[in-house]
Amino acid sequence: MTTRRALLKSLAAATIMPRSTWAQAGSPAYLAAAQTPTGTYVLCGLSYAGAITFQIPLPGRGHAAAAHPDRPEAVAFARRPGTYAIVVDCTSGSIIARLTAPADHHFYGHGAFSQDGSRLYTPENAYEEGRGVIGVWDTATYRRIGEFQSGGIGPHDILRIPQSDTFIVANGGIDTHPDSGRTKLNLPTMRPNLCRFDADGAAQEQYELSRDVHLNSIRHLAIRADGLCAFAMQWQGDLGQAPTLVGMYKPGAQPVLGTAPSDHMQGYAGSITFAGDGQQIAITSPRGSRAQIMDTQGALIDDFEAPDICGAAAHPDGFCFTTGTGAILVNTTQIARVPLQWDNHLVALSTA
Amino acid sequence: MRHLITLLFLATPIAVSANVVETAIDTHILPRFAQLSDTSDTLASAAMDDCTITNPQLRTTYGQAFDAWISASHLRFGPSETDGRAFALAFWPDARGKTPKALSALIATRDPIAQSADAYDEVSISARGFYALEYLLFDDNVTKDADPEYLCTLVQTITADIAQTAHDIEQDWRDNYIDVLTSAGPGNLRYQSSDEATQEVYKALLTGLQFTADTRLGRPLGSFDRPRPKRAEARRSMRSLHHVMLSLQSLRALTAILATDAPHIANNLDVFYATALDVAQTLDEPVFAGVADPSARLKIEILQQAIQRIHEETTLQLGPVLGVAVGFNALDGD
Repeated sequence: MTTRRALLKSLAAATIMPRSTWAQAGSPAYLAAAQTPTGTYVLCGLSYAGAITFQIPLPGRGHAAAAHPDRPEAVAFARRPGTYAIVVDCTSGSIIARLTAPADHHFYGHGAFSQDGSRLYTPENAYEEGRGVIGVWDTATYRRIGEFQSGGIGPHDILRIPQSDTFIVANGGIDTHPDSGRTKLNLPTMRPNLCRFDADGAAQEQYELSRDVHLNSIRHLAIRADGLCAFAMQWQGDLGQAPTLVGMYKPGAQPVLGTAPSDHMQGYAGSITFAGDGQQIAITSPRGSRAQIMDTQGALIDDFEAPDICGAAAHPDGFCFTTGTGAILVNTTQIARVPLQWDNHLVALSTA
Repeated sequence: MRHLITLLFLATPIAVSANVVETAIDTHILPRFAQLSDTSDTLASAAMDDCTITNPQLRTTYGQAFDAWISASHLRFGPSETDGRAFALAFWPDARGKTPKALSALIATRDPIAQSADAYDEVSISARGFYALEYLLFDDNVTKDADPEYLCTLVQTITADIAQTAHDIEQDWRDNYIDVLTSAGPGNLRYQSSDEATQEVYKALLTGLQFTADTRLGRPLGSFDRPRPKRAEARRSMRSLHHVMLSLQSLRALTAILATDAPHIANNLDVFYATALDVAQTLDEPVFAGVADPSARLKIEILQQAIQRIHEETTLQLGPVLGVAVGFNALDGD
């Protein structure tokens, strides 16, 4: 319930206070979490040139972040199975709010804002029942206002289709419980799927991977302006049998797997992005220290090695990548290197 | 300066003799899968002779075959993963109770799929293998209303299916995977260097340690406020602690092989195994029922920590010797 006072306060903030913008946070192009040489954790803004525009301490290891579409606010999620997320004012570094997952839930490290920025959606594990949930938060107060079923087990990533309030959720299919760390509890029977929802959590469609590749956990998503979704997978079976790690999903149609072989990728894709005007896709494998570039059918165009590469996002000149050794690459060229260990994801700021 | 030299030395992979992998195959992997085939055959024969679930011979041979599986259960690559064979032998942990549900459904409908082992590999994977058989032999809730004749058939079919799977794994190793693992190099699609082959075996060691600490112990430990004694592995047949010890003994043997070229490290790690096994031996907790009792719980936690310590020391000491990359993101796995 919004009290009258809180309502007045938020109205005042919205109308009278000069509203801060992403420009005041140094106009970063990306957000990325990292570990510092002293073992502490930070969230950084990065420019296209690889310069750090801000650096804000985090209470623990981050994973991904979600950027508010217009306010210079970022939600930094704790690494799985973390139960907190913090909302940071990227102009001042101050913490605006702290989100705590409900009892017996944990976050997966990802989240997405609604088109107008008034809602935040967070994939969660209701781990006592082994059920995937999407939490819904009001971003005026960052209070939880509801939740809905994610349509599967292990909802990891969530993305909004641009110019809409339709969301795609990657249900990775893997059941875990914090008592046993990251132990995977259901590999023999796992069935990953993709689910599409409207803003109220009504499921519009759901696609499961076929039985022969049910061990390919759909973990991360990328989306193009026209709504084409590319998804990256992590193979849970023997590496000798690892199939392609990429697939494409056009809402309304059965997802299609790519053709790029998973050689040298160690059965593992850590991040995925579109780039090159949406004509190319990249996935990264820190375990194979390798990135693959492919076309939008998932056919391999190129691949290259970079130690512990993981973060991936679009860049005006192609792709931008970050590594656990502190490097920032544009395509295959290192443009900067900082004494930080970049964490899994490089999140492009976008107001689509 | 001396420290620096030691560190540099440790950080550089020493030349691991190519025969480490061969030794692991000859003295660790093949004997374990052969033992699994042999004991599973004996189990299946015992079930053919007398399928009564209280038959002592059936229970003894069940224990022997299950021992053989636990001693091989860390070798989760290649033949054990093809066609989901390891899952078919060992559907555990069963976080959502699928095994008793699947068995009860078979029993209630006298599903004819249980008539032959060949057909039985089509049944839900949760109704196959050692953990399903444990319910039939040791859990009255599942079997009390069963038609005795059907139950008999089910026991015979599950044991025959176990034996078939065990043979498939062993045969696949002999016919195929020995070659794959020992012919690492540019022409080998699976292992492009002998380092990769060594690392596969090393990874099995680490995964085994982690599984025993996080799952065999972590599942029943739950949290202090919410201990979960009923989640202990194979508690119906009183085998929970026994499995921890079997797996430690097996992992200790594999560590000794992988550390052949670094005897100093081999000794260091062996001491950590001895410590953990000592703790296990003095633990009077066959099924970890004490997880709910603060003082007993502490002892079980000490065992878990001793195994976590082995894992940590293995990554710190043995990992660099084998040239295993430990990247910030590579280790994260998300």
